[in-house]
Amino acid sequence: MIFLTYIPLGLLALLLWTLVRKSAYKAVPCFFAYTAFAVAADVTRFLVHNHRHPYYAAYWFTEAGYDLLGILVMYEVLRTVLGNLTRAWWARLIFPAVLVAGVGISLARADVVPSRLGGLLFYIVVGEIAVRFVQVFVFAGLVTLVPLLGLRWRQYPFGVATGFGLYATVMLLTTTKFSDFGTRFKFLWGVTSLVAYSLAVLIWIWFFSVPQKAETPSSELSAPSPGDLKQYKDALRRMR
Amino acid sequence: MFSIIFTWLIVAWGALSCIYMLRCAWSRFPKRDVDVDDVIPFLYPVDISLAESLLDPATEFEFRWKLGPPQFREAQRKRMRLFLELTRRMAHNSKVLVEYADSEKNRQDPRRAGLASTLQEKAIEVRLYSLLTGIKLRFWLLLRTDIWNAKPVLAHLRTAGEIDGLQTYSALKVAAAAAFMQLPPDELDSLTRNL
Repeated sequence: MIFLTYIPLGLLALLLWTLVRKSAYKAVPCFFAYTAFAVAADVTRFLVHNHRHPYYAAYWFTEAGYDLLGILVMYEVLRTVLGNLTRAWWARLIFPAVLVAGVGISLARADVVPSRLGGLLFYIVVGEIAVRFVQVFVFAGLVTLVPLLGLRWRQYPFGVATGFGLYATVMLLTTTKFSDFGTRFKFLWGVTSLVAYSLAVLIWIWFFSVPQKAETPSSELSAPSPGDLKQYKDALRRMR
Repeated sequence: MFSIIFTWLIVAWGALSCIYMLRCAWSRFPKRDVDVDDVIPFLYPVDISLAESLLDPATEFEFRWKLGPPQFREAQRKRMRLFLELTRRMAHNSKVLVEYADSEKNRQDPRRAGLASTLQEKAIEVRLYSLLTGIKLRFWLLLRTDIWNAKPVLAHLRTAGEIDGLQTYSALKVAAAAAFMQLPPDELDSLTRNL
């Protein structure tokens, strides 16, 4: 059973290799950092899984790291997508607004469903749920925006958002049900999170394996022929 | 209580998005090769000079000056509906061009792919402008903001999301002319007429 828990580690290693092979760290550096951190975190957890206290420390330390990097990745996704669409001043406010909404709902939820954890661990869990909210907001927002603007899905940031969106939706659903069913639901919760995370990693591997839409740098463009230019000028003249 | 309702709403939104993505993946992100024949007959003509006059503050001032308040309100609503129709057409045309540019980008010829990239960029800007302007216009028309004495000024719709609508649409037309340069003159004529 313990080895099944580390299936995502194998998949994450494959994802990291894919990212390196495709030089995707240039396009999505935060996501690359997240993947590298996830591999290192899972390896550390695996190495110390037989030692109670080191495992406890490693688990919570890496959970805090996941929170932080999860937020950075969502910032990267929004910055890339919105940066290509608009230069409006309010576009810069979207991410802080989403973040505030996520933290607000997570804190309100923590008030309704009290946690047994205290101190720093409580804030790590609140942060984790806030990150899940942010991930669902960003994913669902993009799914709404893409057909409206006629964008294409085959882009790295959309792939990143899809993987996180699927995982975060499943985790929010199971966490909410977990608070209803209590510890009886623990096994199912563990299995569901494992399957959802593995699916998310498979989605990332698929998105990063297929080539992104080719962007042609303008410096490589050949000059149009004089005939083409004349035709172009005629067309412009007719438009006016 | 509200936080739980919000949580469920967000989970539902996320789940619906996952189902949508699954449907897209099932149909392999439907993508048809759009060629020139799928563009020109599908475009709706946009009268830019009409749009210019609707967004002209001087024209609006003249209306306000000449008409009484109830007549001006009625005229303003008519002008809003007319501009909404123009933005709808702009959005439709840019959608057609985005699809065309998307299939053009797959070509081996780097020049055509580059022109298609520029065309797509401009078309997406126009769609964003049309979307933002459409929301604003529908809001004005729905809530009848004139009743509350907050008179909507059409000239303010020239830019939305820091995108100058008419300028961007003109840039889209230029980009389309460049991308369709290979067309025979009569077809290029139809394109310029329809856009």
